[in-house]
Amino acid sequence: MKLKDQFRFVRQNMKKNRTRVYMTILATAMGCAFLIVLASVGFGLQKSVVKEITERRIMTQIDVYGQETSENGGYRQLDGKDVQIFEEMSDVKAVTRRIMLQQEGKYSIGDYHQSAQTVVANFPSEISAGFELSEGSLAKDKTEVVVGYNFPLNLAVQGEQTEEMFDDKGQLKEEFRYNGKLIGETIHLTVRKLEEGKQIEKVFEVKVAGISKKPTKEWAEDRSVYISEELLKDIEEFTGTPKGIVLDSAEQVKPADLEASKNTFDDVKIYAENMEAVQGIVDSLKEKDYATYSVVNELKEVNLMFAIAKAGLIFIGTIAILIASIGIYNTMTMAVTERAPDIGIMKAIGANPRIIKKIFLLESSYIGLIGALIGTIVSYGISYAVNIVIPLIIKQAFGEETPPELIFSDIPLSLPIICIVICYGVTILSGLRPAQRATKVDVLRAMRREV
Amino acid sequence: MITINHLSHEFVVGKKGKQTFIPILKDISFEVEKGEIVTIVGRSGSGKSTLLNLVSGFIRPKEGEIWINGEKVSQMNESKFADFRIKNLGFIFQSFQLIPSMTAFQNVELPLILKGISEAARKKQTEEMLAKVGLLDYQDHYPGELSGGQQQRVSIARALIVNPPIILADEPTGSLDSETEEDLLKFIKELNTDLGITFLIITHDEKVAAIGHRTIELKDGRIKEGVLI
Ligand SMILES: Nc1ncnc2c1ncn2[C@@H]1O[C@H](COP(=O)(O)OP(=O)(O)O)[C@@H](O)[C@H]1O
Ligand SMILES: [Mg+2]
Repeated sequence: MKLKDQFRFVRQNMKKNRTRVYMTILATAMGCAFLIVLASVGFGLQKSVVKEITERRIMTQIDVYGQETSENGGYRQLDGKDVQIFEEMSDVKAVTRRIMLQQEGKYSIGDYHQSAQTVVANFPSEISAGFELSEGSLAKDKTEVVVGYNFPLNLAVQGEQTEEMFDDKGQLKEEFRYNGKLIGETIHLTVRKLEEGKQIEKVFEVKVAGISKKPTKEWAEDRSVYISEELLKDIEEFTGTPKGIVLDSAEQVKPADLEASKNTFDDVKIYAENMEAVQGIVDSLKEKDYATYSVVNELKEVNLMFAIAKAGLIFIGTIAILIASIGIYNTMTMAVTERAPDIGIMKAIGANPRIIKKIFLLESSYIGLIGALIGTIVSYGISYAVNIVIPLIIKQAFGEETPPELIFSDIPLSLPIICIVICYGVTILSGLRPAQRATKVDVLRAMRREV
Repeated sequence: MITINHLSHEFVVGKKGKQTFIPILKDISFEVEKGEIVTIVGRSGSGKSTLLNLVSGFIRPKEGEIWINGEKVSQMNESKFADFRIKNLGFIFQSFQLIPSMTAFQNVELPLILKGISEAARKKQTEEMLAKVGLLDYQDHYPGELSGGQQQRVSIARALIVNPPIILADEPTGSLDSETEEDLLKFIKELNTDLGITFLIITHDEKVAAIGHRTIELKDGRIKEGVLI
């Protein structure tokens, strides 16, 4: 029997009881739509979270915090030797290392003041990692500094800072900023130390040589002042502590700890050649007991969490399809019962039981597939509506705006495919028994109209 | 064409544990030659239909062998028998056994569909066959819209459409009036002489029995001695 004829048989049979078939298709479609919409929330939120993570970080960046040591069961800060190891690793583009002045640097020019983080950076590696200047040049000697892009934007007259001084983004308004020239100008850096409970200050004069480029990420802010290593040495000489740390006499700092922090870096970042290389670098760092953080780590965890959540949602959705499959089972059983006399006659004139079984399986999978297809189309509509309506509801109910990029429901192509496969499998299973029953119809009883 | 060897059959009645066996056919042996019309007669309940159902493969014998067209069918599985049936056997039933939801055309076309014949070829053959039984004008009628004689002709057309070498008929005239009965018997004779189709016909009607080249009488599940002519 030709497949085309089998399909024709199926369609004719389905026409004989339209309402019942439609209802069964409806139930299947509802089950499928339920599964897809439910799981789409998992996919949507995952997409949003992953997007958030990847947008907030530089994908190729690996933060290295330190190395695990057996001594004290603690961490060891990184130094030049570690940096050398990192630089020799493959797929590493740059290793930036920064030393932070361990106190707030107070900067001033004229009446304008600002407290900023003071950093000793290794410029060749910073530049390989993407550091650029927007104005001026790099520092040529120890009295010259480079300031971050946001540094001049935050220089304000000292005194009380009121709310009007800032715009809605929290930025200092233009009229309150220092508006003069900065490149080539001298600014004052005030550092302090404690001596027998008394605070002693010293002012260092530095010249601004350059201003860094605006950070590419909108949320990022660079207010740091990049000073030379020699200047740090001078500051250390004044404070008498490594990295200019201010020691309260009340605090008991172990001299050994202070010694250990000498010649170490406070911020080491490895930049991989590309995103794909990150995992490999992270793995080999882990082998060497370095503590790292990268987006890859975070993404892995987030993705694992969402994978579990999505599996759970698909499981719940599958239950809906299973319920719908009871409908298919019922419909097919009734169809077989109703058509038993015809089946008997067909068998009598030589229809192969295999073909009879196939026709019924075809019918149930037809119902299942049409249901799955309709369910899929409907779920795209629901998903679209959900993304519009839920933010409105949240706004109405809680008065809070949801971030515009937050997606509640997302249907990747894999989802309808998963759904259709599940639906098809369930349909075949539920149609199997009725189809088997059809092949068992007794010819003689059917011809006597006893079935 | 058909060879029956020591065929016995019994029905099992009653629930499990309290089953009783009712022997219906006892040690039946006979042969039907190619091109022969053989009629089987006997009183109601003598086991005629049971015998034909065994030959048709609708039930399986308890003992003995059935050979049709050179093949031993008594041991065939259901699927194989189905394929064998559509190639070798045509059926005419007392109550026609047409599918009520199909038109005359569709009923006649059905065996061709089962055989996997293409649609164009099917249409031609079906129309020819309907013309042959004089029902071309009725092809779109459903069985319920046809008279008993017309329905029987549709069922004969359906049996003939696959050119079977053998036709099995159980009381083919049982539901017909005497005039249509005569038409049918004439037609059977024609098919036998023109196409050489072998017939095994069951009847309790003497007029029908008379068209047989030979007649076998069943009595109490056995072939009555001396009646095998
Ligand atoms: N499925 C069955 N189960 C039990 N007994 C049956 C069955 N089919 C037929 N019989 C019995 O077998 C006997 C022969 O029946 P059948 O072959 O139909 O006779 P006939 O066609 O000669 O009138 C009858 O007594 C009938 O009651
Ligand atoms: Mg009978």
